[in-house]
Amino acid sequence: MAVWYLIIANPILNVLVALTNLLGGSFGGAIIVLTIIVRLISWPLTKRQLNSTKAMQEMQPKIQELQKKYGKNQQKLQQEMMKLYKEAGINPLGCIWPMLVQLPIWIALYQAIMSALATTPESLLGLAQRLYSWDIVNQAIPLSSSFLWLDLGQPDPYFILAIIVGGTMWVQQKMTTAPTVDPRQQSTNRMMTLLMPLMFGFLTLMFPSGLALYWAVSNIIGIVTQYFVTGGWGYLKPRSPS
Amino acid sequence: MATTQYPSFVMKQAKILLLIAIVLLSLTLVSCSAWGRQSPGGWAGTTIHDGIIYVGTGDGRVVAINSSTESLEWDYPILTRTQSGGLSCGETSVATAIYGTPVVDGGIVYVGTYSGRVFALNTSARSQDFDSLQQRYGEWKWPVDDSAPSSPIVADLLLSGSNVYVSSSNGGVYSLDKRSGDENRKRGVDIPVLANKLWTSPAILDSTLYVSTYDGHIYALSVDEEGMLSSSNWSFESDAGFASSPVIYEDTIFLGSFDRYLYAVNGTIGGDKPMWKFPEEKPAGNWFWASPVISDGIAYAGCLDGLLYAIEARTGEKLWEFDTEDPIVTSPVLMDSLLIVVNESGTVYVFDLDGELVDEAIPLKTISIDAAVRSSFCAQEGLVYIRGEDNHLYAVDIDVGRIIWEIDLAVEE
Repeated sequence: MAVWYLIIANPILNVLVALTNLLGGSFGGAIIVLTIIVRLISWPLTKRQLNSTKAMQEMQPKIQELQKKYGKNQQKLQQEMMKLYKEAGINPLGCIWPMLVQLPIWIALYQAIMSALATTPESLLGLAQRLYSWDIVNQAIPLSSSFLWLDLGQPDPYFILAIIVGGTMWVQQKMTTAPTVDPRQQSTNRMMTLLMPLMFGFLTLMFPSGLALYWAVSNIIGIVTQYFVTGGWGYLKPRSPS
Repeated sequence: MATTQYPSFVMKQAKILLLIAIVLLSLTLVSCSAWGRQSPGGWAGTTIHDGIIYVGTGDGRVVAINSSTESLEWDYPILTRTQSGGLSCGETSVATAIYGTPVVDGGIVYVGTYSGRVFALNTSARSQDFDSLQQRYGEWKWPVDDSAPSSPIVADLLLSGSNVYVSSSNGGVYSLDKRSGDENRKRGVDIPVLANKLWTSPAILDSTLYVSTYDGHIYALSVDEEGMLSSSNWSFESDAGFASSPVIYEDTIFLGSFDRYLYAVNGTIGGDKPMWKFPEEKPAGNWFWASPVISDGIAYAGCLDGLLYAIEARTGEKLWEFDTEDPIVTSPVLMDSLLIVVNESGTVYVFDLDGELVDEAIPLKTISIDAAVRSSFCAQEGLVYIRGEDNHLYAVDIDVGRIIWEIDLAVEE
């Protein structure tokens, strides 16, 4: 646990507090800037993911051909698709990694928000042991939790952030989910495309809005970079699977 | 995130997503249990009056313990109906955290609670074990109406003259009549709101109340003969917020700041220039969270970096320091010529102020109670009464140099 705080949680907390001071006391602004920094750091992984997505988009006609050809022989279809992916140098699971990399950041950010906003006397006292001795950090304490209509230490009571988080996540999912002719696959894709936005929309209602703000901004950055790297809205625009 | 055409890949993705969902759900449940926890916490300390020790417990009760017989005289649970957060937490009656140390005057015990209430409890009435508050015994609750909006009270109450002064988490300072609990406020006049939240106690000098805020201000409020508060022109502003409650000694206000300095501010001039800041050069290792105590022109200040400093109150010059090796969360206490300091890990240090204390002080006694300490403590007739974070009350005999008794303050199931 000490290693977790030393390497991840405390650096994120201190960067957040320092950014808040630099931004004139706006904790919400600091979360947005931190999100941009995290996205920049994870850019090599994101780029790989986007390139992979783009390559998969370009491979769609070939995949559909294979599906038509080996639709009744699942084993053969799998073998041929694996071969195709291998030839193109694509790892279909590569797109998971940027998300997994962000998972510890989410947890650390959740802890940082709760800790930095010091909503209880204990958390304010606990903050003393986690802050670096930098002037920029200590002069920012305690932080204001107000940002736009939000109390960043509490869930958004108006559901606006939940809609934004769910909506942007759906758009992002939709942009990268390739259409298919297989009806079973279609229903799985539909479920997957809906599951994540719904889950995160629900979690937004449960978690401090500061964390949800991170999700929303992260999604928006994801959509923008995806748009420019893959050259458009991807599979968001309806097109015929055939 | 791309979803591939390949069923086995989809299955793998689904498993990973499930893992993510489980982690996030665990976090949700942890936060739910933290919001709706059964043990309310709080760090109310001890006070002693006529041989009875009064303390707020970690399970949300005000307790009176006879120091001679070591027995429970009475206890009073502070319960609040609350709508907890989380998935399965509904409305329930829960024990309330008590952060402020009880204050005793004329047989009445005053205590502020995290539910935003102030209680005046009569020791005689409580000894008779009445269920409800007894107005005829001078007991009251503020606000009277349970449904009245209120904000948590974290700071100690200040009792002065016929009034009780309350710092509230809504940033307001309230003046209450100590006999009735009525607010000393003219109808239609708003209470002074000084900050986003106030977790520090006010200090009073003559008819002026000084309040420090987390946004780096000290405000002065005038108190009239009826106990009503009004703004005054005096104020002090600092770049960093003030972590500790102000302490007044000979027209000077002493308090700790989040920028890791202890400030001395002239109580008549105000402005933005302190008389001095300590340490003079680079800041201390952490915040001065606890208020200092001042005696014979020397301020004794404990710091969260574990150091206890003796500082010349007039000049800010360091006289000596002592490293307790763990954060000092609670203010030192003076008992005759003895200075008693307890650090967070529960080590009690006793210094003889009549002895030769130069540069590096050497404690007269060092006693460990083996429990974390964040609560203020009291001392009388050679005994120190400390509530540990383990919800035990310890009586430490300075002469003998050990704990002479210990009581578990939790209610027996």
